Amino acid sequence: MSEIVFRGVTKTFRLPKGGDFLAIDTTDLRIEEREFVAIVGPSGCGKTTLMRMAAGLEFPSTGSVEVGGRAVRGPGPERAVVFQQFALMPWKSVRENIGFGLMCKGTPRAEAEAAIAHYVELMGLAGHEDSFPHQLSGGMQQRVAIARAYVMNPAALLMDEPFGALDAQTRIVMQEELVRLARRNPRTVLFITHSVEEAVYLADRVVVMGRKPGRIIETIDIRPLRESEAWESQPIEEVMDRPSFTQMRSRIWKLLKAREAQNA
Amino acid sequence: MATGAAPARFHRAFFVGALTIVAVLALWWVATTGTRWLNPLRLPAPSEVWAALQQILDRGYAGATLWQHAMHSLGLVARGFAVAIVTGIPLGLLMGWSRRAEALINPIFLLLRPIPALAWIPLAIVWFGLGDTGKVFVIWLTAFVPAVINAFTGVRNVDPVLIAAARTQGASTAQVIRHVVIPGSMPLIFTGLRLSLQASWTTLVAAELVGAFFGLGRVLNIAGQDIFPGMIIVGMVAVAVCGAATTWLLGLLERRVLNWRQAI
Repeated sequence: MSEIVFRGVTKTFRLPKGGDFLAIDTTDLRIEEREFVAIVGPSGCGKTTLMRMAAGLEFPSTGSVEVGGRAVRGPGPERAVVFQQFALMPWKSVRENIGFGLMCKGTPRAEAEAAIAHYVELMGLAGHEDSFPHQLSGGMQQRVAIARAYVMNPAALLMDEPFGALDAQTRIVMQEELVRLARRNPRTVLFITHSVEEAVYLADRVVVMGRKPGRIIETIDIRPLRESEAWESQPIEEVMDRPSFTQMRSRIWKLLKAREAQNA
Repeated sequence: MATGAAPARFHRAFFVGALTIVAVLALWWVATTGTRWLNPLRLPAPSEVWAALQQILDRGYAGATLWQHAMHSLGLVARGFAVAIVTGIPLGLLMGWSRRAEALINPIFLLLRPIPALAWIPLAIVWFGLGDTGKVFVIWLTAFVPAVINAFTGVRNVDPVLIAAARTQGASTAQVIRHVVIPGSMPLIFTGLRLSLQASWTTLVAAELVGAFFGLGRVLNIAGQDIFPGMIIVGMVAVAVCGAATTWLLGLLERRVLNWRQAI
C-alpha cells in the first residue's frame, strides 16, 4: 500500500509585506500504487510544493496528504526523494552517499554492501564507488542520487525535476534509463518537471498545472497510447518522433498556453 | 589536479622568491657592514645577530636558552588555542543550529566582542598574576572569537537541501548534525582556526611583553631594555618561525580533514 493521496490541499504563504499569497488552490490528486505520475506546469504553479508535501518537507495549509493510507507528518525513508540539485554530500564517497540511509536505519553491514553493489551496477556507477561527487559529471551525480533513492526500497519515489540540471544529451540517456529502471522496479512515482516531452515520455498519467493560483487544469492518461504503440520497446528518439507523441505534446502545450493567456 | 605546467610554475615562483630573500639579506649586509650607512644600534649587522643567536642558544638569555623560551611560548599558545577549540567550536555550532541558543548567547557575545583581546591583559594580570594561567586566559579569549563566529557561519552556510535530503533518508537530528552539519561547516571552521592561531601569537607576545618569567616575548622585552638590537632580531625571527610552524601543522591537519576538497 503506497498510494499518494492529496485531499483538498491548499497552500498559502504569508507575504513579507503583509497579506497572503495562495500558492495552491484546492487540489485533489490520487496516485495509485505503482503508478508513475508526472506533474507538468510553469514555474510558480506549486508543483514542487506538492512534491515537498508528499515528502514531509512542507505541510498543506488546509486539506491532507496521505501516503499508503497514513497522513504525512514529516520526512521518512519509505518516501525517497530525488532533488534537482542532486543533494549529495560532497564529503562522502559515492558508496557512502548511496549507503547513508541504510546506515541511518542500522542495516547490517553485509546486507547494506550487497544492496549498494546492486544499485551501483544497475546505475552504471561501477568503478566510481570511491569517488567523491564533485569528481563525477552531473549525469553521474544524478545516477548516484537515484541509486540512493532506490537502495532504500521505498514505497514511493518523489522526483523534483531530477534531470533539470543536466545537458540535453545526458537528459535523454537518463530518461531512457529511468523508464528501464521503473519497469524493473515498479514503484509509486511522483515526478515533477517543466518539460512536457519528458512528462509524456515517462508517465502513466500527466497532471497539467497552471498558476495564479496553482491548480490542476487537466489530467491525461498516457497509458492507452503507450501500450497500443509499445513505446517501451523502442528507442526514445523514435518514440518522440511519432505523430501520436507530438500530438499529445502539443495538446498539453495548448492547455498550458490557454491557462497562461487567461492570466495575462 | 596537477597539470603538466603547474610544477614548472611552482619551481619558478620558488626560485624568484629565494632570489628576493637573498637580495634583501645582501642589502642588509651592505647597509650595515659593507658601507655602515645604518647605525648598528638601530639595525644590527648580520654578524651581531648571529652572535646573539649563538649566545642565547649556548648560554641563554633572560633566564633561559632560546629553546626553553620557545617551548614555553609554544606551550602557552597550544593550551590557549586548544581550550578555544574545545569551547568555541561547539558553542558556534550550537548557535548556528539553534535559533534559541543564538538569541540567548549572541547578546553576551556582541557585548564582549568589541573589546580587543589585548585590553584584557591588565585584568588577566590582576586576576591570575604574571604566571601562565593569565596568558592562557587571554590567548583563549583571542582565539575563541574567530572560532565561534566561523563555526556559527559554517553551520548557517550548510546547504539546506543537504539537510532535507538527509532527513528524507531517515536521519535523526543527531545523525544530521554528525554527518551533514559538522562536515559541512568544516571548511569555515578551519578558516576560523587559522585566524585564531595568528591572533594567538600576537596576544602571546603582547602578554609576555607586559610581564612574564619566560618566553619569546620576555626575550624581546629584556633585549629592548638592554638596548641589544641583535637579540631583538633573534626574538622576532623566533616568534615568526614558531608562528609559521604552527600554521603549517594546522594546514596539514586541514588537508587531512578536508581531503574531500583536494581534487576540486
